Amino acid sequence: MRIKNGRDFWAGLMFIGFGLGFMLVARNYPMGSAVRMGPAYFPTVLGALLAILGAMVFFRAFVSKFAHPLKVFTFRPVLLVAAVVVGGATYFADSLFKGMPMVEFALTGLALLLFIGAFGPKSMFLILLAVVIFGYALKPLGLVLATVILIVVSAVGGHDFRKKEIVILTVLLVIFGVFVFVKGLGLPFNLWPGE
Amino acid sequence: MDFALIHNLSIGFGVALSLQNLMYCFFGVLLGTLIGVLPGIGPVATIAMLLPVTFNLSPISALIMLAGIYYGAQYGGSTTAILVNLPGESSSVITCLDGYQMARQGRAGPALAIAAMGSFFAGCVATVIIALFAPPLAEVALKFGPAEYFSLMVLGLVGATVLAHGSLVKAIAMTILGLLMGLVGTDVNSGIARFSFGLSELSDGIGFVIVAMGVFGFAEIITNLEQGEARDVFVNKVTGLMPTWKDLKDSSGAILRGTALGSMLGILPGGGALLSSFAAYTLEKKIGDTSKFGKGEIRGVAAPESANNAGAQTSFIPLLTLGIPSNPVMALMIGAMMIQGIAPGPQVMTERPELFWGMIASMWIGNLMLVILNLPLIGMWVKLLTVPYRLLYPSILLFCCVGVYSLSNQPFDVMLTAVYGLLGYIFVKLECEPAPLILGFILGPLMEENLRRAMLLSRGDASVFVTKPISGVLLGIALVLLLITLAPAVQKTREEAFVE
Repeated sequence: MRIKNGRDFWAGLMFIGFGLGFMLVARNYPMGSAVRMGPAYFPTVLGALLAILGAMVFFRAFVSKFAHPLKVFTFRPVLLVAAVVVGGATYFADSLFKGMPMVEFALTGLALLLFIGAFGPKSMFLILLAVVIFGYALKPLGLVLATVILIVVSAVGGHDFRKKEIVILTVLLVIFGVFVFVKGLGLPFNLWPGE
Repeated sequence: MDFALIHNLSIGFGVALSLQNLMYCFFGVLLGTLIGVLPGIGPVATIAMLLPVTFNLSPISALIMLAGIYYGAQYGGSTTAILVNLPGESSSVITCLDGYQMARQGRAGPALAIAAMGSFFAGCVATVIIALFAPPLAEVALKFGPAEYFSLMVLGLVGATVLAHGSLVKAIAMTILGLLMGLVGTDVNSGIARFSFGLSELSDGIGFVIVAMGVFGFAEIITNLEQGEARDVFVNKVTGLMPTWKDLKDSSGAILRGTALGSMLGILPGGGALLSSFAAYTLEKKIGDTSKFGKGEIRGVAAPESANNAGAQTSFIPLLTLGIPSNPVMALMIGAMMIQGIAPGPQVMTERPELFWGMIASMWIGNLMLVILNLPLIGMWVKLLTVPYRLLYPSILLFCCVGVYSLSNQPFDVMLTAVYGLLGYIFVKLECEPAPLILGFILGPLMEENLRRAMLLSRGDASVFVTKPISGVLLGIALVLLLITLAPAVQKTREEAFVE
């Protein structure tokens, strides 16, 4: 059997994974009966349906009339394994980190970034990295610095990085952000670190 | 009846014509046109970004502004399609075919004018249709019990999958995945936090904006960057806006047909602007002289542009009468109503008539503003198109991040949006249409609740869904829809339609 349609192949696996995953986690909750459905009832039924549909898509990959290569996007299995190892270790050994929330936080963050980095182009990694940093930097560093980081890191992700332009854009967006988001719309952001 | 309509409309215009609401309406359609013109940012991301802001507005102002963004985007999208051969909005994909050809022949002016006129006409008709048909529908909806609601949602989801691009099985799978993701968070009946992995941030469930922004907004930026920038702006001075008498005569029929088709398809669950424009173009290509299609036929601009605007507006009908969103934008409108403490559903019309009729009246006013905005200001919109994407996308990212963060001031939400951005990219690459996922995500908890109630009321007898007449009919329609789509002949044309 040869895989004819790489997209269907991976999509099928993804659906099966999600379906079984939801069913598995739902086993922790009471099932109830058809009259009084427990919290596990609906998710279990849906998870099973999803897994069945996933299997259909998966098998279609072998008989599809549309041909697609198996390699749909860049995939770095090493990073995925690393992400699972780091993430799993942090999750299950959380008693080790009692009193050291920063270490646990940093390890979780590392696992997440490894996970994101395992898929797709470099530009995606940089853009999502910029987003994550912005989220966690906004409160401690303030809107101004967080904006600078977001713009510069995400701009590096594009293929046409022009220093001068990005400097001007960053300045403009910082001014815009301060006046529109904070002064105009009254969003509760501090502008500078430690305010 | 007619008298009541006039009375209602006068209430509506009274609300919509207040200075404050006029201002928000103007702001909405202006912003809508702007994001419609710019490829790469659509109404979903924009409305999501503005959701937290609407918290401080009065409910009616908020809804007027958000609605304006949606139908405003339909106008803006056509400008980009005609001048740049790029869809500014997904619903103007089809306008590129003939609109761009007209621009190359030096007839960009008439093409833009006809698009705007068709949109305006369609907008007016759709407004009247909402005013006429929404009240009786809401009356029917008031009789709905849990079984009927459940079946209606099944129909809505089936509609969304049938109309999605590409493979039907994948679309259904995406819907179910969406339903499952919607169940994350505390279960109302038992108080158990489901699928939260012990994270307190997940016990309230995943925010709708997070999913929409990640799967639509971020994923789009990522795929755009991957494809590289190839934009050939066709900014030959747009001269002579006025269409000739012959243009008007040629396109009047197309505008009428497009409006009629768009109004009907917009009401369908899962329908809206995109489907309407495709259907209208296909219909037009089957009527009269078809030799010029693809080579600058004005009917090929008039019909889809009228249809997408009509569809965009009539898609408010299921939202306003049943409280059920038919597409992602409508789902965001539900979010906006909930933020304001309004439970969407048939009772809105009777309990808050000023809200319902004010919004309808504002649509007509907004359409008028759009014609004024679009025709004389066309030069300004064209200039905008020369802003390169490398400057645009960091700005869009900033807006999205601020929008997500301000929902609950939690860094976790921003991180989760990034994860959904990754998922969205994977969906695009695997040809899994994200729209059904979003719809499922919204309906997930609602469906579960109605299913539980219906089963409790019937003492576990699942046959109520078929034996109750309204519910049975709704499920029947859903089944027929599915069977029709599975029929080989339809499968074939469906593929062709979406490949085009």
